[in-house]
Amino acid sequence: MTDQVVVKNPQAQRRKKNLILGFNIFLFLLPALFLFISILIAPIVVSVYRSFQDWNGMSAGKWCEPNIFQNYIDMFTNSVTMNFVVALKNSLILAFFSVFVQLPLSLGLALVLGRKPKGERFFLTVFFMPVLISTVVIGQLWLKIYNPDYGLLNSFLKLINLDTWTHIWVSDPKTALGSIIVPTIWQYVGYHMLLMYAGVKGVSPDLREAAMLDGATPGQVDRYVVIPIIKPIIRVSVIFAVTGSLKAYDLVFILTGGGPQKLTEVPSTLLQQQLFLANKYGMGSAISVMLIILCFAFALLITAVFREKDN
Amino acid sequence: MKKRLVSVLVAAVMALSLAACGAEGGAATPAGGGDAAGGSGDAPAATADAGSGEAITLNMWCIATESDSNRHSYEAAIADMAKNHPEITLNWEAIENQAYKTKIKAAVAADEMPDIFFTWSCAFLGDFVKANKVYCLDDAYKAYASELPEVMMGNSTYDGKHYGVPLTMNIVGLFANMDLLKQVGYDEIPGSYDEFIKCCDALKAANIIPFGCAGKETWCVTEYLESVIEKSVGADALNDIFLGRATWNNPDVGAAVDEFQKLVNNGYFDPSGAGLTNDEVKANFMAGKYAFYMNGTWNCADFAADEAFYQKVKVSEFPVINADKAKLGQLIGGPSDTLAVAASSPNAARAADYTFELGKLICHYGYLDGCGLPAWTPYGDTSGINGLTQAVSEICAKADSYVLFGDTAMSAEDATTYLSYVDQVYGCQVNGTQFIEGLAKDIR
Repeated sequence: MTDQVVVKNPQAQRRKKNLILGFNIFLFLLPALFLFISILIAPIVVSVYRSFQDWNGMSAGKWCEPNIFQNYIDMFTNSVTMNFVVALKNSLILAFFSVFVQLPLSLGLALVLGRKPKGERFFLTVFFMPVLISTVVIGQLWLKIYNPDYGLLNSFLKLINLDTWTHIWVSDPKTALGSIIVPTIWQYVGYHMLLMYAGVKGVSPDLREAAMLDGATPGQVDRYVVIPIIKPIIRVSVIFAVTGSLKAYDLVFILTGGGPQKLTEVPSTLLQQQLFLANKYGMGSAISVMLIILCFAFALLITAVFREKDN
Repeated sequence: MKKRLVSVLVAAVMALSLAACGAEGGAATPAGGGDAAGGSGDAPAATADAGSGEAITLNMWCIATESDSNRHSYEAAIADMAKNHPEITLNWEAIENQAYKTKIKAAVAADEMPDIFFTWSCAFLGDFVKANKVYCLDDAYKAYASELPEVMMGNSTYDGKHYGVPLTMNIVGLFANMDLLKQVGYDEIPGSYDEFIKCCDALKAANIIPFGCAGKETWCVTEYLESVIEKSVGADALNDIFLGRATWNNPDVGAAVDEFQKLVNNGYFDPSGAGLTNDEVKANFMAGKYAFYMNGTWNCADFAADEAFYQKVKVSEFPVINADKAKLGQLIGGPSDTLAVAASSPNAARAADYTFELGKLICHYGYLDGCGLPAWTPYGDTSGINGLTQAVSEICAKADSYVLFGDTAMSAEDATTYLSYVDQVYGCQVNGTQFIEGLAKDIR
């Protein structure tokens, strides 16, 4: 009898200890969990719920008619007031340029700076500076550059006798989107460069030296040693660039406001317009849900593509 | 052991902070929660007596930013109110026009409105009234009825109840830089449409841009388009369409839109204006870049304040295009700028009285400054009012009828649709027929 008690007690004590440990872990996680649910999960759930409603944000909402998915249907079919397809296309164009122009530029700069050139710190600061400047300031700065009357760009073109190339950059349907893409790329080159530069600096000098001893040129070292090692960072940069393009808002709003004729709208400017100008909170919620889905989908897709390449 | 103690302390602090947050949220609910029933007119009496001298603080949002023509009238009126009512502290914030529309709607949706807020009458305020977010001003109005004619309250009256204090009334004016017109042989603004077009052609031939219009702010395009439509189809027809009593599918409106596009395609508008804001276009007009500028008569104050420019500028109404249906005196505009009181205000009754007094003073100073015509009966010496405002006053004295600005007359959803079409008309992406058919289909 006494022996049995002795045998049982350690198990019970261990269970009790585990229980206390589990409770402690739960207790410590509770504040973070609470914040995570209240700040992230709850708003998403509410947005999904509201996206099926015809709601003006003030009165009580009612379910969409005749179809509960009416907001989602309108999103893809209403081409005059709410051209989501054009907005999405613009975001994808922005994402394309971010991935295939901005990131190679950032990678190039990171690799060059990673070779410890003279003035490395200075150039690092200069390239990173646009990231530190407020987007509103950058928007205003580029508006001045694009100004058709006194702007730097048109003045420069006139100076080199290219008068025919001058444009009303932000309001010409042919150049408006390009006018947004250029400053967006310029602003975030430094950001991605810094991420990649940290990765490049993390590459062991032994590996570089070994490759050099084998006769590799600096370019070959970068291509066959450094880039494969920093691939996880490049993947993160691609995810940031694509999701950032899908969520783009501030520069678009300042430079073109979605115009001319809504040709430079992006999902976020549409979202703002539907929520606060048209009082269509149901539709705004549907757009935000669609944005969340797209961001997750692209993040998963990019991860899968990189995994496939690794395999 | 030390680590454990620190961990327990950190956990305790976090738990306490969360508990504190919860308690604060709960306590704040009654104050901000002004429930819908509170403001719908049959609201229970506000907590504070309107006539009591108890010290209170009121918050106000408006659009009288530093660059706004009305800024001085707000500052002067608020200074007077501070003298007359030392027991009331007013915290006021001015937000840029376009951003304000977003901000006030977000505040209404979140039930976080200031006690007093600027609004546009008709549908803009109507949406808030429908949602029971606005305090009914019927009781407070009784004391001011002799100074504020009932007719001026019309645009902010819903189901027979008053919800807004009108400030000034404005119309769309055709401002002209007479120095530029003189260069092409015109001493006066042309009175007939044919003559007006000839004048535009002459200006163009002399390398002077006839019109400046801010394409970045679609409401500026409506100032031109609505004038062209009104002077083609008549005020009654346009009013019926704006108020939903008639369909948009009116061929005369389509023809008027085509006429407007002719002005665009003839190169009368500054092409770079499409990428500019109204402030930039206005500055260009004052700098002599354009001959004409169609915009609200609230601009008279700024034009009069610039002595050199004041000598050059004249104002008129847009000429009649189709004399069979329209006539001079049919104007776009009316009392739209309004102050309202939030139903959720804990001092709504006193805020209502305060708003009437403040509105009267803003109207008074605004009229003296030339920011518009008074919605209230004018008082004091008004002989110093600038010539432009006096000219507007003369135009209004001969007015036959007013059609309120389209985006103010329509609900937010319809106005957004309407402005999208106007944007496309200005960009010549749709023609008159597509405009009327599209709006007839999309505005339900």
